[in-house]
Amino acid sequence: MSHLGTGSGPLLTLQGVEKRFGGVHALKGADLTITRPGVVHVLIGENGSGKSTLLGVLSGQLRHDAGSMRLRGRTVRFADPVAALGQGVAMVSQETAVAPDLTVGENVLLGRGLVRRWSGISRAATNAKASEVLSRLGLDYDPRARVGDLRPDQRQMVEIARALSADASVLILDEPTSSLTDDEVQGLFRAIRQLKEQGVAIVFVSHRIPELFEIGDEVTVLRDGNTVAQGPISDFDGRSLVRAMVGDVEGLASRPAGGSAARGTATAPVALKVAGLVADDAVHDVGLDVRRGEIVGLAGLVGAGRSELLEAVFGSRPLSAGHLEVAGRPYVPSGPRHAIRSGIGFLPPDRKSQGLVLGMSVGSNVTMVQTSRRSRWSPPRRAAAMQAVAEVVASMRLKTPSHEAPVGALSGGGQQKVGLAKWLVCEPCVLLLDEPTRGVDVTAKAEIHAQLRRVAAGGTAVLVSSSENDELLGLCDRVLVMFRGRVVADLSTETATEAELLRLAGGHTS
Amino acid sequence: MSAPLVHLWHATSRFRLVLVLVIAMFILFSVSQPEFATSTNVKNLVANSSMLWVVAMGMTFVLLSGGFDLSVGATAALTGIFLAKVLETGLPAGLVLLLAVLFGAAVGGLLNGFPVGRLGLSVFVVTLATMTGITGAVNLWSDSQSFLVTDPLVARLGTADVLGVPMPICLMVVVFLVAFYVQTFTYFGRDMYAVGGSVTAARLSGIHVPRTLVMVYAFAGACAALSGLIAVGRVGAAVPTVDGTLALQAIAAVLLGGTALTGGAGGVNGTAIGVLFIAVLQNGLSLAGVASDWQNVVTGVILILAVMGDRLGFGELMRSSLLRPAIRTPDENVLTTKEAQ
Repeated sequence: MSHLGTGSGPLLTLQGVEKRFGGVHALKGADLTITRPGVVHVLIGENGSGKSTLLGVLSGQLRHDAGSMRLRGRTVRFADPVAALGQGVAMVSQETAVAPDLTVGENVLLGRGLVRRWSGISRAATNAKASEVLSRLGLDYDPRARVGDLRPDQRQMVEIARALSADASVLILDEPTSSLTDDEVQGLFRAIRQLKEQGVAIVFVSHRIPELFEIGDEVTVLRDGNTVAQGPISDFDGRSLVRAMVGDVEGLASRPAGGSAARGTATAPVALKVAGLVADDAVHDVGLDVRRGEIVGLAGLVGAGRSELLEAVFGSRPLSAGHLEVAGRPYVPSGPRHAIRSGIGFLPPDRKSQGLVLGMSVGSNVTMVQTSRRSRWSPPRRAAAMQAVAEVVASMRLKTPSHEAPVGALSGGGQQKVGLAKWLVCEPCVLLLDEPTRGVDVTAKAEIHAQLRRVAAGGTAVLVSSSENDELLGLCDRVLVMFRGRVVADLSTETATEAELLRLAGGHTS
Repeated sequence: MSAPLVHLWHATSRFRLVLVLVIAMFILFSVSQPEFATSTNVKNLVANSSMLWVVAMGMTFVLLSGGFDLSVGATAALTGIFLAKVLETGLPAGLVLLLAVLFGAAVGGLLNGFPVGRLGLSVFVVTLATMTGITGAVNLWSDSQSFLVTDPLVARLGTADVLGVPMPICLMVVVFLVAFYVQTFTYFGRDMYAVGGSVTAARLSGIHVPRTLVMVYAFAGACAALSGLIAVGRVGAAVPTVDGTLALQAIAAVLLGGTALTGGAGGVNGTAIGVLFIAVLQNGLSLAGVASDWQNVVTGVILILAVMGDRLGFGELMRSSLLRPAIRTPDENVLTTKEAQ
């Protein structure tokens, strides 16, 4: 099935690559073929399709369980990222990893590239060498500049230059455009074209469909750990790519009969009203209403401003402008304490560092929010508190040896239930959730969804952000799609499709 | 074993190694040193550790909240001078003692708690600075002179007996009970654990983090002040010498008692055992005629072992043996989904 093979065979092939993490089969048989040096190979797939795992295998961060990887015809297996680098495979990950207090030159050549003389590191020679590497990207940054003073897109370029300095012949860019503006994306593309001319193959990951056609030469589509489509990108268009990612089962996903119309929430009073909300550079002029009993989803790519919007409403991130109302009363976010007193709850995305105190007991975690509402010196009303804990825990079917067990001893799903229970016992008017089912198993996910529906049925307004579009479609009454800090669509889940969400989230309007 | 005993045994899980060593040392010294297990010696042993004990109780709260406090030795000495100076004004001694403890709380809360909790400055820098500054203040305020304190009430702090129990030991018990109650049975106590366990989670749960920290450092200051008062009572004078090692010894005792340096786990019950460990070791070795330097060597080694044991999991092993099936964290699915995307 190899296509376009040049005389010497493809540059890099992965065949039938499998990878398991415990019980999760992340890669079931992924194939990827980079036909020759100097191509841009696009890798796409929804969240959870196995993309990151495949990149991990490719860059030496993970070792595959089965399947083969061949580089220039030779079978390879990378023990670690250094080994991959030694074979010319370098990866620039999504989060920039530069040393902000070192210079551009030092960052580019960090590790082994610094030019050493008997007298120590030669700055002049190092800087000259760094300039040379940067010029391969068509850049003329001053190698003496401090990296911390550069713009984020420039820091990313420094990282790319660092990968090049190790003589990379395959350069993996994991969502390099996710935090760039249009102009900056064009700058990146210019650099990528320069590299193509020099024979460097690029593996390019992005969720933004239009730009894939602009820069890509060939494509691999992953779904559920399998490669479901591959070939020259000219064989595809936006719709066929999305269909490959989502599968042909559109609309087939079991959806409980719901929708705001069916549940009669369309006329319920508005519990949370947001107008003209601006927060830093992340959220621009967002307006939304969530009615009592309604579950509203926030869809969008990572970096679209979903998390920042929720944080701004909860008051844990400063907002620069905006008018908010909770249950009809004006509400000015000033911090979590004020938000909680105003009847807002917030389940943060990272339960380990933000949502829970792992060393404390289930009971203490569940009653932690209430703590701030009562007298500091009085003994906690243990009996009453424990009663509430017991009820919530039972309704979510939490498996815990006892309420005194430390939360850290529970499974991921159990922890997430405790994190949710903590807010349910305070019976908030508005409940904000950021990635409420990230990293939990299927059963726990279903139970959390059921719990959220019950909460909404009880009159709470639920605003939930998730990067899993099928989750939003299954759970919510309406879905708002965000793109670069703005709400670009407001869809009823009765009619919306995953493909539509994906297109809108990728900035593809039409 | 009966249920309460089992429960008590579980409660020792964080400091079991040190507890076993304390008991072993006690038995060993009782057998080898005839004068060790006498009531006079035991009273002495405990009373001598009263300053460390009281300071360590306050230090436990600071460590639970995720910090530490280097300035407690200096605060103790400063409170002694405060006591001597204010007594000269002729105020009633009882009121002066109360003022002195409040003075210590104010020093801790304002000079340590405020910069750490409200301004977010580094604990190390802040408490190093207050330690240095207060040490200077002690000498300036006292003109480097000792003050005889002859007030009978103050003297009783260090020397009186209550039903045959030395006053310092009574104070130790009171401080312990107060600290234990606050730690275990109040919302403030739980806020303290939450802040030490995860500042972000605490803040997002609506806990007032700065106020919690100010109060934690105020409590440590009050404890330091009380230990300074006990010292004055025992010596009969306020001495302008700062015990530079008091803070570090207290931290050592807290860590020996199983409180995590990173905060959020442990408690004053373990600290009590940690202080007793140091006290028994010190007393037993000096009765045996072993140079006191060995005491430091042994304390250091045990400290590493105690912390390492927790890290390497042999604490876990001791904990889970016999009595309780260990609950292990199946962390896998967390890792997976993060990577599987």
